[in-house]
Amino acid sequence: MKKENDHGKHKYGMVIDIDKCTGCGTCMVACAAENNVSVRADQSDKERTITWMRLYKISNGKPFPHTEISYIPRPCMHCDHHPPCVSVCVATATKLDFNTGIVSQIYTRCIGCRYCQAACPYGARYFNWWDAYFPKKKGLDRYLTPEVSPRMRGVVEKCTFCHHRFMRAKTVAYAEDRREIEEDEYITACTEACPAQAITFGDLNNPDHEVARLIKHPFTFRLLERIGTEPKVYYHSSRDWVRKLADNFLPGEYTPVVNQTWAEEEWSTKPGRDEF
Amino acid sequence: MKLTRRNFIAAVIGGIAGIQATPLPWKFTDDVAIWTQNWPWVPVPPTGEFSEVTSVCNLCPGGCGIVVKKVDDRAVKIEGRTDYPINPGGICPVGMGGLQLLYDESLRFTGPMKRVGLRGEGLFTEISWGEAFDMLAGRISTQRRKGAPEAVAAIDGSPEGTTVSELVKRLMRAVGSPNYVRPPSICDTYRMGNLLMQGTLSPMAYDLENSDFVLSFGCGLLEGWGAPGRVMNAWGMWHQGNPAKRKTRIVQVESRASNTASKADIWVAPRPGTDGALALGIAHVIIKSGKYDARFVSDHSWGFEDWRSMDGTRHTGFKTVVLEKYSPEKVAEITGVEPKTIVSLARAFAGAKAPVAIYGKGKDSLNGSLYEYMAVQSLNALVGSINRPGGVLLPDPLPLSNFPPMKVDSVAVGGLRKPRLDQAGTMRYPFSDSLINNFTDAINRAPRSPVDTLMVFSANPFFTLPDGGGFKKALEKIPFIVSFSPYRDETANMADLILPDSTYLEKMDDTVWPVGLQYPLYGLSQPVVEPLYNTKNVGDTVIELSRAIDDSVGSSFPWESFEEALKERAKGLFEAGEGLVSYDAGTPAWQRGGDRDKPGYSSFDEMWEAMKEGGMWYRPVGSPRDWQGLFNTPSKKFEFTSKLLVQAIADYSKGQSEKKALKDMGLSAPADEACMAHYEAPETTADRSEYPFLMLPYEMINLASGWIPSPPFLYKTIFENQLLKDKSFATVNPATAAKANLRQGDLVCIESQAGKVEARINLFEGAMPGIVYLPLGFGHTAYDEFLKGKGVNPNNVVQAGQDPISGYPVWWNTPVKLVKV
Amino acid sequence: MDSPLLPHGVKRCSTWAFFFWTLPWLALLAWGGLSAFLCLWKGLNQTNMSNIFAFALWIVFDLAVIALGAGAFFTGFLTYIMGKKELKNIINTAVIIGFICYSGAMAMLGIDIGQPIRGWFIFWHANIHSMLVEVSFCITCYLMVLAIEFIPIILENRKLEEIKELRLFGHNLHEIMAVFAATGTFLSFFHQGSLGGMFGVMYARPFAAREGFYIWPWTFFLFVLSAIACGPCFTILCTKLTEFFTRKKLVPDSAIQLLAKISAWLLSLYIVLKIADYLGWMYGVVPRSGLTFESFFREGPYGVWMVVAEMIFCGILPAIILMVPKARQNQAWLIIACLLNCTGIVLNRFLFIIVTLAIPVMPFDRFWSYLPTWQEWGIGLAVVGYGFLLFSAAYRYLPVFPKERELNPITE
Repeated sequence: MKKENDHGKHKYGMVIDIDKCTGCGTCMVACAAENNVSVRADQSDKERTITWMRLYKISNGKPFPHTEISYIPRPCMHCDHHPPCVSVCVATATKLDFNTGIVSQIYTRCIGCRYCQAACPYGARYFNWWDAYFPKKKGLDRYLTPEVSPRMRGVVEKCTFCHHRFMRAKTVAYAEDRREIEEDEYITACTEACPAQAITFGDLNNPDHEVARLIKHPFTFRLLERIGTEPKVYYHSSRDWVRKLADNFLPGEYTPVVNQTWAEEEWSTKPGRDEF
Repeated sequence: MKLTRRNFIAAVIGGIAGIQATPLPWKFTDDVAIWTQNWPWVPVPPTGEFSEVTSVCNLCPGGCGIVVKKVDDRAVKIEGRTDYPINPGGICPVGMGGLQLLYDESLRFTGPMKRVGLRGEGLFTEISWGEAFDMLAGRISTQRRKGAPEAVAAIDGSPEGTTVSELVKRLMRAVGSPNYVRPPSICDTYRMGNLLMQGTLSPMAYDLENSDFVLSFGCGLLEGWGAPGRVMNAWGMWHQGNPAKRKTRIVQVESRASNTASKADIWVAPRPGTDGALALGIAHVIIKSGKYDARFVSDHSWGFEDWRSMDGTRHTGFKTVVLEKYSPEKVAEITGVEPKTIVSLARAFAGAKAPVAIYGKGKDSLNGSLYEYMAVQSLNALVGSINRPGGVLLPDPLPLSNFPPMKVDSVAVGGLRKPRLDQAGTMRYPFSDSLINNFTDAINRAPRSPVDTLMVFSANPFFTLPDGGGFKKALEKIPFIVSFSPYRDETANMADLILPDSTYLEKMDDTVWPVGLQYPLYGLSQPVVEPLYNTKNVGDTVIELSRAIDDSVGSSFPWESFEEALKERAKGLFEAGEGLVSYDAGTPAWQRGGDRDKPGYSSFDEMWEAMKEGGMWYRPVGSPRDWQGLFNTPSKKFEFTSKLLVQAIADYSKGQSEKKALKDMGLSAPADEACMAHYEAPETTADRSEYPFLMLPYEMINLASGWIPSPPFLYKTIFENQLLKDKSFATVNPATAAKANLRQGDLVCIESQAGKVEARINLFEGAMPGIVYLPLGFGHTAYDEFLKGKGVNPNNVVQAGQDPISGYPVWWNTPVKLVKV
Repeated sequence: MDSPLLPHGVKRCSTWAFFFWTLPWLALLAWGGLSAFLCLWKGLNQTNMSNIFAFALWIVFDLAVIALGAGAFFTGFLTYIMGKKELKNIINTAVIIGFICYSGAMAMLGIDIGQPIRGWFIFWHANIHSMLVEVSFCITCYLMVLAIEFIPIILENRKLEEIKELRLFGHNLHEIMAVFAATGTFLSFFHQGSLGGMFGVMYARPFAAREGFYIWPWTFFLFVLSAIACGPCFTILCTKLTEFFTRKKLVPDSAIQLLAKISAWLLSLYIVLKIADYLGWMYGVVPRSGLTFESFFREGPYGVWMVVAEMIFCGILPAIILMVPKARQNQAWLIIACLLNCTGIVLNRFLFIIVTLAIPVMPFDRFWSYLPTWQEWGIGLAVVGYGFLLFSAAYRYLPVFPKERELNPITE
């Protein structure tokens, strides 16, 4: 079979709508279940617990009763062009795939030096401080899927945009003699699981895909955009305070997106009412 | 050559040096690296044939459609179905983690067992099903022979209307015990309120998807209220597209900046237990400004205006009371919500095209207050949102067939005549079905437990009841406890005999009308995998048990198997016609009109097979119903003032002064007001100077707080200021904490008159000052290392009062003090 | 007991005294050995490192000892390449200290990585874009060079010298030492630089990120410079410590003063450039990321005081002391200055490692703190114990200080 050169053709990414996100955590559970992520008895040690997809709880910091919280689901950002983690890896165990834009991780090659973790500002990379915990005597190894290999201790793992789902979709497409996969044929486990449909996944390079349209919206932003990591995970929020928390700003640097909503009433504390 | 020391050393050194020149070291280096890549203790999941099984999740009464991915006979992933009406695609975190409940053997009972250790210790030994049936049937027969079948009691947590709950009820009737008790749920409050105001008995039906203004009184829309799959999907829909042009506005009334409150368009924070007053304050503004639906009020309601009874006495109506007593200023005093907010809320609510006021407290697994619900429902009536698209619908109940009439033998007749231990349905609690807190008290007060044998179905009251640990004490007194739980929960650990159910992924079961759904739906789940262990579908267990008791009881259970019983009920669905058994996401079930497939079956068997495959029977939402005969109240109208309540209070007052009667029923309002929605300040016996704070339990969607254990996956989603190591956190406002001299992370003892627990302090601006919020779902003393001993259970501190009239526990008013540890 | 092994014409303490002297260091080694065993057997969960503190105590130790060990290559460079003859009196000390530092660091790194058995993948699957690969290659090669430099010193042992072949071999090695000095200089320049580069290239961590020249961020050059500025000082400190314990004068002042003077100039140059670097960063990288200098120190125990300490007390101050001949000729001032200089460099490495990682980049992330476990301390301190042990043994059995006999004639 002739190997196609898709160099730079696809660029998979996602848009997470923070307004829709309910903070339920299904994405985190779906991710862990899909990717055979180890579950240890103490998961409260957030510095060492593995959560490829992680929810951050943010607050507008205002006093009662004007307090508002929100959640930022944070998968791996799959930074484009020059991800901070890829160039630093000593053993070439992590790479940016130019055909898909996915930043991969090869567990069997990783030596566990953790330089990539130090380089990643999103905390998206997780080290296996312990051996995978799926006790046989409990039978917990029975729900493991063969599509994703469980990791040994001492290596770094991270969100792969459910790369095995991409492979699955590709296999199906090739079996049907197609070269391209459709928008809904390849979505990540978190996208699929979100009960509020807050996550949209697709090819950012394909103008027919919903994500390509969504990223043009003025409410769409990325995390730490100024640092230049070029994440392929975008966020969307109508709330200024949420957008402002996505990056660091010097006083006066943040320009609110002007929005007129119905809530522009005197007693509202909601979108468009935050002064920055 | 002679072997000298020198030669030897030379040979060794030479040998070592020589080996370096061979490929051996390189090979070894490579091999050990390959070994690290294939460590034998890292599992390698076996591959096999991939397949999918569709089913319905019934971990909660929400009933989402699920599709389970399998590899050979192993289930490896649960996903949401897109071809199911409830949850187009997504499911909640608990459902997502369900495979751990199936496969974590240490959470489960692997077969019928009898207790060998002390109660609560969790030590059991396996026995055969035959032995188990003999033990239990023998026990029940003995009671029946003694002529005391009422000493057999059942606690049943399977949702109301499900076939299992019908079978358990039937078993209790056949045995002859009136003591069939259910854990409280919001459905009890809905049922009672609807009965009093509308005369209807159908499930609550909120047409949320078609509403443009959702005024939620405490419903944890994003915390798992109703059918979480449906509500969160609606949430996504409401926020679809341009925020400036959104159709639906959401207002959350709650004292804490919960997810729902924060994510809603407006958050209004009244003091806990004053939601009813706020609703009436809104009603006041609407009535005063004349913005109410005069047509609905005049044509279809009763008790709005003042009225005269038969004897000519003049009684005040809803309007007079609301106008007199619930001005925004007065309500502001009660609730702490500013008058201008109340006015704006009322204007926005009355001005919306299809507003709906919904009621609940957190998830649906805890009851609410009757009068609060009536106040909220009065709001719906005021704006004419009853029986109107986007409001509260009044559909018929599901057309399930009734079981054939049963023979009740003389022993049973005798037993059924005995009073219920919980006094539900007596003059004092005329509209209640079941009052588990009274049941507990009755046992705890009696010198000897009036219950000889307690059977517990799909419930873990030891953990879930807001009773300050009262139920645990009751359990200790009951001579014989039987649990049918598949899980090693706290209540099961107290049991003497276990007849384990299969888990939800191993059995057939039904879901009846998910809470709050606006159209009738009957869900049917399928076994996804064969039962892993020696467990039995609890439906089959009940049928077999009935036969083991005696022929008289057994004759009421003519079915071969549980599936037969399911089928028998489902016949009604076929006879009713027009039910759909497949779903096309293009035309959602909540959408009126549109092209829809015809049912596509011609016989019951065809329908049954289609239901087994698709997991559903439903009827899409229809047009509003004819007003004629819609309300089945004495006045045949919607009753702002409930005539049933008027009658009930009159009945109870016979032979005593009305004032005393009202006081007995928990009421402080005068009789006229007592018959309609009004605000009753919750009472407490605690000295508020000693217990200055209020403790309020709250629920989270990412933690199971009911009888189902939380899948360990969920603990990944818990924040470190909710649980850290084995300590859960009490959330308080920084100002409150400062007063008590507490800082973030401090360990405190939260003490009420009922009990005390230790938790860490979490400072949160979004917490109402003066209130200590404790999360529900932590603090298990059963299960395995994933769940056991993590955090504390606020139920152990709750000092439950009694809701007036209904008698349901008031769990939102526990005065506590904080003592730094 | 071990007198046949002792060098000719010098006085050494009794075997027993030496034995007792080694005990505390052996204890440290045993502690480290147990820690290492636990970390290798059970995994890095034995430490308090985390996904936030991916680099922690061990990396601080590594970077510190590698910087301090820079005395070896730099003294070698001065002695053999620049022909500073007086430094021959101290070159052995510098080489041994360098060897101790580098071998200790390598051992710690071996435990620090999650999959030590696959450590060689760095070379096999090398990613040439990674600064850490450059570090690994250079350090490994340089450790071999140091070993080669160490061999002739070992071969000067009285007993070994009796073997003719070894003596000849040692002598020949000595002759070509300039080649190794040059190689060592080259390798060291790159790995010291790359160690700095490692942090400077983390462009998504504004606290560490630096602009630079071509592929090298400024930290690359600053790390080289700071290493050669403090390396000689550390060599001086070690010499002075040995002189203190042996109660002997071992190295002529000329050598010490020369090193101190060179250190002074290098340190001054370094401080000037470092100030420029700080300013460039504060007005470049930092505001571009939407941050201010103070914003890095809003939470946690770290503060601006660390930068003040690094630059003024441990930078400018020792530079001045070392620069003034009168001051550096005073024993006490010399030692204080050397100590401050070394502390400053360690502080600099600490800032780049620990503070970089402790400061959250995402505004909604929180500040984390970290305290090492006893296992981490064990392995870190084992390197200290190993250093003392090896250096003591070298002093006892090898003619480390060529002028020892001359300066301490045995009068009997």
